[in-house]
Amino acid sequence: MERIHTTLPESVQVADAVQAPAAADESGTVVDYEVGLVSLNQWQLAWRKFKKHRLALIGLGMLAVLILAAVVGPILAPYDFYTIPKPDQFVTIGRPPSLAHPFGETARLQRDVLELVVNGARTSLFIGFSSMFIGVFIGTVVGAISGFMGGFIDNLLMRIVDVMLSLPLLFIILVASRFFANGSVVLIIVIFGLFSWMGISRLVRSLFLSIREREFVEAARAVGVTDQRIIFRHILPNAISPIVVAASLLIAGNIITEAFVSFLGFGVNPINPTWGNILTSAQEFLNQGNWWWPFFPGLVIILTVLAVNFVGDGLRDALDPKTRA
Amino acid sequence: MTKFVIRRVIQAVPVLLGITIVVYAILLSAPGGPIAKYAQNPRITESQRNEIIKAWGLDQPIPVQYCRWMGFCDKEQDGLALVQANGVPNVFPAALGGGTNGVLHGDFGHSLETGDSVAGRIGKAALPTAILAGLALLIWVSLSVLIGTLAAIKRYTFFDNLTTVFSYVGFAMPTFWLGIMLIYAFSGPGLDILPASGMTTIRSSPAFGSDKYWDFLFNNPLKALGDLGWHLVLPVFTLVVVNIAGDSRFVRASMIESLSQDYVRTARAKGLPGRSVTFKHAFRNAMLPFVTNVGLEIPFLFTGAIVTETIFSWPGIGRLTIDATRDYDYPMLMGVLLVTSVLVVLANLIADVAYAVVDPRIKL
Repeated sequence: MERIHTTLPESVQVADAVQAPAAADESGTVVDYEVGLVSLNQWQLAWRKFKKHRLALIGLGMLAVLILAAVVGPILAPYDFYTIPKPDQFVTIGRPPSLAHPFGETARLQRDVLELVVNGARTSLFIGFSSMFIGVFIGTVVGAISGFMGGFIDNLLMRIVDVMLSLPLLFIILVASRFFANGSVVLIIVIFGLFSWMGISRLVRSLFLSIREREFVEAARAVGVTDQRIIFRHILPNAISPIVVAASLLIAGNIITEAFVSFLGFGVNPINPTWGNILTSAQEFLNQGNWWWPFFPGLVIILTVLAVNFVGDGLRDALDPKTRA
Repeated sequence: MTKFVIRRVIQAVPVLLGITIVVYAILLSAPGGPIAKYAQNPRITESQRNEIIKAWGLDQPIPVQYCRWMGFCDKEQDGLALVQANGVPNVFPAALGGGTNGVLHGDFGHSLETGDSVAGRIGKAALPTAILAGLALLIWVSLSVLIGTLAAIKRYTFFDNLTTVFSYVGFAMPTFWLGIMLIYAFSGPGLDILPASGMTTIRSSPAFGSDKYWDFLFNNPLKALGDLGWHLVLPVFTLVVVNIAGDSRFVRASMIESLSQDYVRTARAKGLPGRSVTFKHAFRNAMLPFVTNVGLEIPFLFTGAIVTETIFSWPGIGRLTIDATRDYDYPMLMGVLLVTSVLVVLANLIADVAYAVVDPRIKL
């Protein structure tokens, strides 16, 4: 249980490689039915391990609260996003947090910051999750083709990945959002997806390369199973765990990138509030003491990313056979 | 070794070529094209627009445009003219009678917004970015090594847990948010002790990079450098906090792995003093993967500070890119994207070679 103190994404793999081998194949699945107990499938086992990871459970709880707030928050909130309140004065710097407005009010239009955050959660979380799906889909397809086919196609696809990874992606995403998206949420999601699949495809390719050589695949091939069935029934299910872990990290990255692009004004149109674009002009009013406007949305971004990373760590511990103790 | 370097350089060529195509394709497919800026302008007539299209070569087929932009084709002749009128291929350096157009000859064109040469603007913006990101990189890499190693040695102690918490939070923190909060804390209405924007104090010093500034720096080096240093505090701090999170965890993980190796146990069993084992045996080997990691962060000197530069109005590459993006300044964007991509490729190359140098076990 010492693995509660997990680390950040990239770093863990280095450390785990050392701790793992001792207990790698002692997961206990076999014992279960010999004694007559109900046998658990892969996902039930994973959940049992996941539950023991305290931070991951906290993260899952936080995520659930955030998603709930995003779904029902705008309905329950006393202020409507599309009705602009009547400011007290012509020029206002907003008001600090109070009981009526727990996160304070913005400068200029004097909007309730909590209302902005709750409304922003919808678009921000939606972008984070759906662009992840696009990225994972493209990455898995490319990686699977590359790893399964090998040869010329593998070489070609991997050179394309090399080129994509050599691009300054933050710049490219910024430019693409400005030139193509025109503030549209869907196009932003597509752009984020198109520039985030490379890591996944390398991962999937390496998984396919190693699983392809395993005995059960050889056995399947020997009895004449088709390529299609080998890919979808034999290889992919065995590759799914690392993909899930990598996907959880993509969500966090996409949420931060979206916030940054929209903050600069090149992202989502302010008609659809996100955690980035509600801060677009917040910096101007810092000197008048309006700290609550940028503070709370940023805090929510931090909490979200923390939650996603915690869940990712829990998933890694629960799903990655190398760390299964 | 030489063979390895040559092989890696040759491998980099198709990647570089691919990058030019991708960069070109992205901007080419943008709706409207470079001429879109003028489409809405009532002062520019239809015929003037056609003049611009002709002058910029936008009436040519796309392969020809790309070829001219790269510098393979002569732009004085029509079509795919690979060879100049004087019989010398256009790709050759100008000194050998080759052409002068295209990125291969260092000609990135001129900004649509200001008319300045793109290469000149990039060169000018590179120095402020290099100062900011270079200093930040130096600080966060050394601090990461220090913190990561200590955390690995004192694993699961209070110090280790504290750094874990900090790196989790640092990892989740958007750079722009940290920057804004720091400005509020140290340059806001309450505590106004640090400058929040720019590289120099406007009232007491000329603008950075101008001729007057170099005179000023030469005459009052202490004052000028002090002022610059003062302006560097907040942006550098922002970059260090955000980037130290990942790197210190990397060092920690690598050090923990190294400490559990057999040769470390052997060294201890031989009765070597603990400190010597930790630093001579474990630490040196733990640094190997980190060298590659740092090598991959070098392009950051050029690109990574984009957010920080925006928040702190730092006149570097990041600001240049954001301004060019906002203004649809095609030549500027193509220049910036291309130069930064080339730097990424170079950094990958350097990281590979550096890894081979520090770890003799790597087969060349």
